[in-house]
Amino acid sequence: MQALIEQQEKESLAAISSASNDSVLREVRLLYLGKSGLISRMSEQMRAIAKEERPIVGKLLNHWRSSFTQVLEAKEKIFRDQADALLFESLDPTLPGTTRCQGSLHPLTLLIDRVVAIYRRLGFAMAEGPDIDSPWYCFDALNTPADHPARNEQDTFYLPDGRLLRTHTSTVQIRAMEQALPPLRIIVPGSAYRRDEVDATHLSQFTQMEVLCVGEGITLGDLKGTAEFFFRELLGVNTECRFRPHFFPFTEPSFEIDIRSSHLSKKWLELAGCGMVDPAVFEAVNQKRGDHAYDPEKISGFAFGFGLDRLVMMLTGIDDIRMLSENDLRFLKRFTGEY
Amino acid sequence: MKISLSWLHTYLKTTQSPQELAETLTRSGIEVKSIISTGSNLSNVVAAQILSSDPHPNADRLSVCIVDDGSAHQRQIVCGAKNYHVGDKVLLALPGALLPGGIKIKIGKLRGVESEGMMCSSQELGLGSGASGLHILPAETILGTEVQELFPSDTILELEVTPNRPDWLGHIGVAREAAAFGAGELTRIFHTDSAAACEHLMDTASASNCSSGSMKHTAVVAIHHLPCHHQDSRRLATNQYEICGLIEKPHISPLLSHQDSSAPRVMDAHACPFYSVRFFDLIQVNQVSSLLSRRLESIGVRSINNIVDIANYVMMETGQPLHAFDAKKIQGILTVRFARQGESLEALDGVTYHLRSSDLIIADEKGPQALAGILGGMASGVRESTESILLESAVFNPTVIRASACFHGIRTDASYRFERGSHAALASEALERATSLIKECSQNVVVHEVAVIGSLPAATLLPLRYDRVRSLLGFSLKDEEISSLLTKIGCTPCEHGWRIPSWRLDLTREVDLIEEIIRLYGIERISPRYFSIPSESSLADRRYDGMMLLRRRLMASGFCEVRTSALVAPEVSALQTIRLRNPMGEEQSVLRTSLLPGLKAVIEHNLCQGAKGLRIFEVGKVFVKCVENTSAQEESLSLALIMTGEAESSSWRGGVRRSLDLYDLKGALDALLPGKMTYHPSVRPLPEPMAIAMDLFCDDHYCGYIGCLSPEEARKFMLSGQDDVLIVAQVELTPLLQALDHGAWKKEGPLPIFPSMTRDLAVVVAKSISYHALEQALLAQQEPSLKNILLIDIFTDPTGEKISAQHKSLTLQLTFQDEHRTLTTQEVNMICERMIVVLKESFDLAIRS
Repeated sequence: MQALIEQQEKESLAAISSASNDSVLREVRLLYLGKSGLISRMSEQMRAIAKEERPIVGKLLNHWRSSFTQVLEAKEKIFRDQADALLFESLDPTLPGTTRCQGSLHPLTLLIDRVVAIYRRLGFAMAEGPDIDSPWYCFDALNTPADHPARNEQDTFYLPDGRLLRTHTSTVQIRAMEQALPPLRIIVPGSAYRRDEVDATHLSQFTQMEVLCVGEGITLGDLKGTAEFFFRELLGVNTECRFRPHFFPFTEPSFEIDIRSSHLSKKWLELAGCGMVDPAVFEAVNQKRGDHAYDPEKISGFAFGFGLDRLVMMLTGIDDIRMLSENDLRFLKRFTGEY
Repeated sequence: MKISLSWLHTYLKTTQSPQELAETLTRSGIEVKSIISTGSNLSNVVAAQILSSDPHPNADRLSVCIVDDGSAHQRQIVCGAKNYHVGDKVLLALPGALLPGGIKIKIGKLRGVESEGMMCSSQELGLGSGASGLHILPAETILGTEVQELFPSDTILELEVTPNRPDWLGHIGVAREAAAFGAGELTRIFHTDSAAACEHLMDTASASNCSSGSMKHTAVVAIHHLPCHHQDSRRLATNQYEICGLIEKPHISPLLSHQDSSAPRVMDAHACPFYSVRFFDLIQVNQVSSLLSRRLESIGVRSINNIVDIANYVMMETGQPLHAFDAKKIQGILTVRFARQGESLEALDGVTYHLRSSDLIIADEKGPQALAGILGGMASGVRESTESILLESAVFNPTVIRASACFHGIRTDASYRFERGSHAALASEALERATSLIKECSQNVVVHEVAVIGSLPAATLLPLRYDRVRSLLGFSLKDEEISSLLTKIGCTPCEHGWRIPSWRLDLTREVDLIEEIIRLYGIERISPRYFSIPSESSLADRRYDGMMLLRRRLMASGFCEVRTSALVAPEVSALQTIRLRNPMGEEQSVLRTSLLPGLKAVIEHNLCQGAKGLRIFEVGKVFVKCVENTSAQEESLSLALIMTGEAESSSWRGGVRRSLDLYDLKGALDALLPGKMTYHPSVRPLPEPMAIAMDLFCDDHYCGYIGCLSPEEARKFMLSGQDDVLIVAQVELTPLLQALDHGAWKKEGPLPIFPSMTRDLAVVVAKSISYHALEQALLAQQEPSLKNILLIDIFTDPTGEKISAQHKSLTLQLTFQDEHRTLTTQEVNMICERMIVVLKESFDLAIRS
């Protein structure tokens, strides 16, 4: 028995070394280590031999099993390594990567999202309003005189029923105050319309962002802090803001904001209009609400508005606004990531 | 609005450079659009006199002149201009001169005749557009004077003036603002008797008006400039800013007996609250270049003649428009009234305007002589033959002027100013200013008294609470500091607040004064403040977030977002479209009812640019006219998608190239809201002609349709000739956003712990049997352990060898799983057998193994 085992062990190790490939080796493994392999069968014969011989035979068998397994696994690893090497040997890592077709978001969407994120950080919520609105919301409530040129048929789109397409998103200031009590902090991205001849710098439909903050004790300092924070977040910490006195019917005092940022250009760029909400606007809201929730003696606020199309143009370095409405995919595909 | 700096310096003593001054004005709120250097700094261009002029021997159009350039040497010059006479003085560029545009003057021959220089037009010297032909100098010009002495160089500032500040529409107003902002000191602003006269005028006029109740009638109030004995005059006199006071020694003419001959009538005091006119006799009208005309030309106002120039000069100086009528052409009394039906006016621009009853006019007995505040009439215009004039200075209602100017499509310097507002005090003074200028240039003139109708309004008095100023502006300035800011702009403290200077029509409320305070103080000195109070997220927030999520999912599915205009061309559509009353053109005359037409145009554009495969979408508003008694919304959010062309771009991996089809779009919609979208054969009318269409449901709410556009329809607009199928979907966003809102954090319990088992089931059915029918038949058996059905293969054989050509083979992978135990192979096999039996009962079907 002992001799047989030793003989078998030699044969089995020879079988491993003569195995030329992985599949032959697998047969060898099966032959010896399989459920009904040679080593198992020899182990079963243990019952037939004398009790005192059993430890010796058992030891031999164990030795056989462990040495066979060790050599087999070493050989298997050689074959595996060879196969693995072969797999990567044939691979040209410089071949271009393959990908699924990439989509993109419109640059205006990306900018709106960025702006929304900044204002949310400051505690603003969103608000919305209709594109079709009445002259009251678009002009009267915003302290615009009855004969103001902006109301002209040359400048504003009207529907046959006398309503109009809003010329600015400021209409939502009124709608928001009409619906909610102060304090109120809202942002409104949306479309506005003006009867401009479409050219490199004008679209008849454009995109604006309205910002309104109303409450007790809101001061010009809050407007300044908010505007500066916003532009620095958007354009980098080195962005400079300049406030220039200006005129808007619905704010008093009113300013235009010029921005200078290494991100854009070395020149001052006129980017936004802003101001403290005119008391007449609060009075119009009160009249509509039928209460004194927005008593200008107690409540103050600031409003802030800017065109997103122009900002996108500056950020992307395009000089024709029509690229934003032309929707050429060669242009749009540039905007696959986040702003 | 253009400002000449040399002109401005007449009123403003400043050491600021043009750039610094522009900076000052910008700080005050006057936007400086450009800074242009003008005038001449040319050398070798001198005044010369034409001594003789003979025809050129070889050229009909040229002449040969002998000129005296002030030196001993007489020069022979060949000239092409015709507008001169022998003896005229002109500008001569000598050899060596370098003219604008790089033209170098040298001695040379023109058609065989030598020319020792060039006589120039104002344009050739960069002195403005001017009339064509040689620039003729005044006779008194000294020969040999360099052009830079005759036309000193100047800087022109182009300003953008906001509509609330008519006082900035004249040089004096700009000077005043610059001074208030520290640019320097005002000069030549002194108090005159005219201020007192105005003050007097106010009292008498308002007294007479109050008694009669209204000025609507033909009350003629002729007020004369008499020394004023008003008790308040001393205080006024100390306030040098009260009136812009230009006139050094106002002319106080003797009372005229025939004042009624020029006394006007005003029929509507609301439209014309103040009207003054002065008669000038024995006037000389000429067209001589003067400081006035040169200054006007420098800011782009064409010089006409001395009288018109004076009117324009005073307007550009003070901001108050004046109008001169040829008095001989006016018959009877000048009347300010609204036009009558059928009246028309041939205006100075040569156009005949048909007047409406809302057009305010200045008329005489014959009819309209001017469109009030806008444009004078041709017939009564001042020309060289004019011997006497009526010079008008008035205040018109801005609304009336704006409506007329807008209706007739005229925009003049006068209407531009009247639309923004004017003041009686300024009107009176501007007339005085013009009077003294006319007297300077027309020596024999007889100046008659001013006839005035209307009153000088009382000065505005505004209260101001200093605490209010501090709380709104967020600073802690002392009362005295605030007061000193306001005095800078000419406000004077009075008992109940502040007295506003007459030229500040825009200061009518406390908050207006607060704005002035911050403007003068400078917002740059306000410290920024940050607050941080949370805001509850609104419905708009949730909708916005939902839309961004959907957009990002579509981007991940390979779609590009586009944005198209809401204004589109009208289309034959079942839906009610909303039309604009005043569209820019037919192509943008209605509000879109669907996003698809816009997307189709984008597809066409990109195919023309050579795109091979396209996946695009838009999220935007669509508009439907609301019919009464329906709950339909006028504006709603919509999502539309189109895909066409190659499914994948070429790749070195090769593989099967295929075109995008309906299933790609269905997959994209499924990925948008996994497990929520269902499709049913279309039963609704579709706005687009479709070859095949399915209705789309989200959480069982109808939300649109998906399908393939009819190829015939596609060919109609796809001029690019590409004929891949267009797969489109039109989706209402509200149900999707609701599904997103409800779908988050849905509880689905723990993961299954027992293994699942799959079986592939290949069935052969007639081609007409839909997949949906098979799936429903399997689901209808309500087998609890059947967890999923996955279609993994479709096989057809057109040759009929493997399966009949009328049949198809579908391979379904069924997944079975039990929550409480491991299913056995036998069990699963039995379930499958059972299902096959039921399927066979429902369909004529064979099982392939």
